[in-house]
Amino acid sequence: MTTLSSILAGSLQGYILVSLLLFLVGLGAVLGRRSILIQFMGVELMLNAANVALLAFARFRGGDAQGTAFYLFIIAVAACEAAVGLALVVGLYRHRQTTDTDRADALKQ
Amino acid sequence: MFLIFALITLVGAVALVFQRNLVVAGLCLVLSFMGVAGLFLLLANPVAAALQIIVYSGAIVVLLLFVIMLLNEHQEEAALKARPLQRWISAAVVLALGAGVVKLVAGSPVLRRLDAAPMPAPMTLGALGNVLFSDHLLAFEVAGLLLLAAMVGAVALVKRDL
Repeated sequence: MTTLSSILAGSLQGYILVSLLLFLVGLGAVLGRRSILIQFMGVELMLNAANVALLAFARFRGGDAQGTAFYLFIIAVAACEAAVGLALVVGLYRHRQTTDTDRADALKQ
Repeated sequence: MFLIFALITLVGAVALVFQRNLVVAGLCLVLSFMGVAGLFLLLANPVAAALQIIVYSGAIVVLLLFVIMLLNEHQEEAALKARPLQRWISAAVVLALGAGVVKLVAGSPVLRRLDAAPMPAPMTLGALGNVLFSDHLLAFEVAGLLLLAAMVGAVALVKRDL
């Protein structure tokens, strides 16, 4: 089992595996939980999983600064997404007094 | 070290999914982000690790915890109705994708070939700044504009009457 030992020692396969598993846990949070705030946290986890894969490939393809520059833009967009997303959650709570997605399933009041 | 940070990341994420209390779930999110920052350090990228801690475990999680405490929604509300079918389907989808991912990554010859790359020099802020202001200047300015637009948009969404 050389593959297993190299994954445990931190090869590229190990990083990609962690990244994909992190993405799936985030997907599980979005699919399996009802609270919109937990779903938001799941989305953040999925975004982070993409970042791990991006920087792992950047390091194993020679480690130039382009990957980190892209990472900087990704977290700028993630910060915007967090601000607007949480404002939407607050707006939803104002209208319906709930953060449960099952109770907020219609656009009509 | 890789194993420790990978476990911190994944344990934090799994604890988030099964946590009932939203504030504790937010702290599990911090744990997971810290693990990711550790992975970035191991990838010879201290700049990304610092940005991860400042922006994610700092700014975004603090914003999230503010909203949780503002809305006073510390517990998930009781389910309107049990949805066993949807729960089983989502669990099955996640598990099937997980099995497929493990099989795909473990059997990938491309990833194994890239593995031979030598450890590069650690990323520095100077190198990042050079790339940012020579190759991506327009994107950098647009990102600044986007942050401003998001700030104005968030205020406009939350304010009752403008």
